[in-house]
Amino acid sequence: MIQNLMDGILTGSIISLGAIGLTMVMHMLRFANFAYAELLAIGAYAALVFDRLFAALVPVMDQAFGGLSLTWSLTLATLAAMAITGLSAVLIDWAIFKRIRQKADALSMVFASFGVALIIRNVITLIFGLKAELYSNDIAFAMVLSRDPLLLIKPDQVFVLVAALVLMTIFHLVLSRTTFGFALRAVAENPALAQVAGVPLARIIIVVWMIGGAFSAAAGVFYALTNHLSPLIGHNFLLPVFAATIVGGIGSVYGALLGGFIVGIASGLALQVLPSGYSPAMPFLIILAVLLVRPQGLFGEAEQT
Amino acid sequence: MKTKYLRQLVIAAALTVGGASVAAADCPVKVGVALPTSVDWGKPIAETALWVADMINEAGGVDGCPVETILRDTQVDAKVGVDAAKAMVDLDKVQLMMGAVSSGVTLPILTSVTVPAGVMQISCCSSSTRITGLAEEGSTKGLWFRTFATSNVQSAVLTKLAKDAGYGKVTVFYKNDDWGQDMASLLDNALKASGIEVAASIAITDNQPSYRAEVTEALGGNPDAVILALYPKEGIAVTREWISLGGTTKMVGANSLRSEEFRDAVGMQYLGDFIGADTSSPRTASASAFVEAYKAKFGGEPSGPGLPNSFDAAAISLLAYHAAGNGATGAEIAAKVPMVTDPAGEPVDANVEGFKKAMALLSEGKSVSFQGGTGAVTFDANGDVSAPAVSWVFTETGIDERQYIPLEEVNAFIQSLN
Repeated sequence: MIQNLMDGILTGSIISLGAIGLTMVMHMLRFANFAYAELLAIGAYAALVFDRLFAALVPVMDQAFGGLSLTWSLTLATLAAMAITGLSAVLIDWAIFKRIRQKADALSMVFASFGVALIIRNVITLIFGLKAELYSNDIAFAMVLSRDPLLLIKPDQVFVLVAALVLMTIFHLVLSRTTFGFALRAVAENPALAQVAGVPLARIIIVVWMIGGAFSAAAGVFYALTNHLSPLIGHNFLLPVFAATIVGGIGSVYGALLGGFIVGIASGLALQVLPSGYSPAMPFLIILAVLLVRPQGLFGEAEQT
Repeated sequence: MKTKYLRQLVIAAALTVGGASVAAADCPVKVGVALPTSVDWGKPIAETALWVADMINEAGGVDGCPVETILRDTQVDAKVGVDAAKAMVDLDKVQLMMGAVSSGVTLPILTSVTVPAGVMQISCCSSSTRITGLAEEGSTKGLWFRTFATSNVQSAVLTKLAKDAGYGKVTVFYKNDDWGQDMASLLDNALKASGIEVAASIAITDNQPSYRAEVTEALGGNPDAVILALYPKEGIAVTREWISLGGTTKMVGANSLRSEEFRDAVGMQYLGDFIGADTSSPRTASASAFVEAYKAKFGGEPSGPGLPNSFDAAAISLLAYHAAGNGATGAEIAAKVPMVTDPAGEPVDANVEGFKKAMALLSEGKSVSFQGGTGAVTFDANGDVSAPAVSWVFTETGIDERQYIPLEEVNAFIQSLN
């Protein structure tokens, strides 16, 4: 029980990171972007490439920190991957979504996003193959916190949780303390009004994609660090990330944060009551429940008509 | 939908009533072959079946009549397969159908085409025990045979390996699909019957972000060993998670994990205690003779799946057709199958000479024991076969076979479970 709760929190931190960007993009650009979760895969694989590169160039950097499977090269690779993924997100928007936005309605955008997701997934498969890749072949062993009840935790997971919380805190400070953050929130609230007030919409959209891409890359790397890489990472996270966004309320950054933890914990605890084969249904159930009880999400504001 | 079903019934009724007269003693004898010729591994299976028909013709043909094989592609698709089989049964009036590959295709052909029309069906390559269930209910009317071992054999071998290793309490991880669920329920029965406690049986749905919760649940049972009925993709994720949380490295794995990808991703240092199970061709003279004959005919090793099985399915069914005589109905052919696979009968080899000898003996009303590519095949009451097994281990350089378990031992073990 406590173990499931703990695992849920850890998985939840990864989902939260993915959901923060999605909720902003979805609210600002007003469409459900099914290609968004693929950014996790781009990030994870970009980090893999940089990790191998750095480790080969400077072998000293391939030393793992005590207890973690994280190395200096992977740390730097993660930062590089965050930048690359942010740029990819901007590039995809410029090449595809921006053009469709100008010509067609939101539904066309949704369909286009399906196509983009397929393209990204298959390009990654073409380059890296379908087989599972790992940052490090060593298995990082869990620490036993308590024998009865059995309580296990991996050092990597603690790191992931801390790193995710740090990223979220930084983002919170930016949002609440800076002019830029204010502009961002203004656009999220009402793009047209923000533009009238002198906020450069086009530039804000680019920044939002950058932030979303960077956070997704971090989520992808953190996931791959505690599990493994596969071209399907994005696909596997699509549903939990969407569930988190909907639970939190589309457009609410803090909602997405909390939503990620709710989905993670609920999926973990689901095994207590449901047979293991049914646990993948949990995100669906959460979406259904939220839409029935509070369609605007926990933190979302009801649509004003 | 309803009218389609009615039409099928009418056709089926017409065929069963008029079956004997329709299949009057015409030459040549038409035989249906429904196999996935359009996929790369399906083509050799079909070529092997056609090769047998050529050999039978060389040996004199079925009841003095040459065999004409009608080959149609199933594309490993249930709908295409059923259409193909239907055309052969309705238009070509075949009484014998060889096929198909994959239980998902074989099953609908069996239930909606061959059995309603009273046509005998023999498959080289379907393992689902759902067909065994149908046979037990009597729904296949004794018209169904296969030369491919069922998941039942696979699960029994896993159980045997766990038992031989001395594991008293195990946890099963199974893939949450048709095959995995079939394996899980079979394993559950087999393990309990052999006195091994099943701490938990845990479904693993593929493409999940994390299997931590599932693994944690398994850990609570504190088993001596785990049995993995998984494919490499989710197998890697589950096994790594399992080991990192301090789970035992004592593992028994199904044939699906016989992959280098699995070994490399999990890491050899954790796979020292891993034992794998697989079914195998027997180590008999007839099996090696098949390999030699195949190499001589096609110029390559019979390394693809189901080739000796396809050979034996074609040979046994055509010999039975010969014994039943030209113009026989599907049920009459099926009734002669035990004469071809009689362990007490005269052993005959799987070549033109052997077929000649077999056909002469069968014409005299004597039974023979066909020695094929999968050994001396014998069908049980449900048309299923058993198979010898091997255990294998991962090594630094590859995957090595460790132990060969002969057919008799596998059968005796399966018997001991009932």
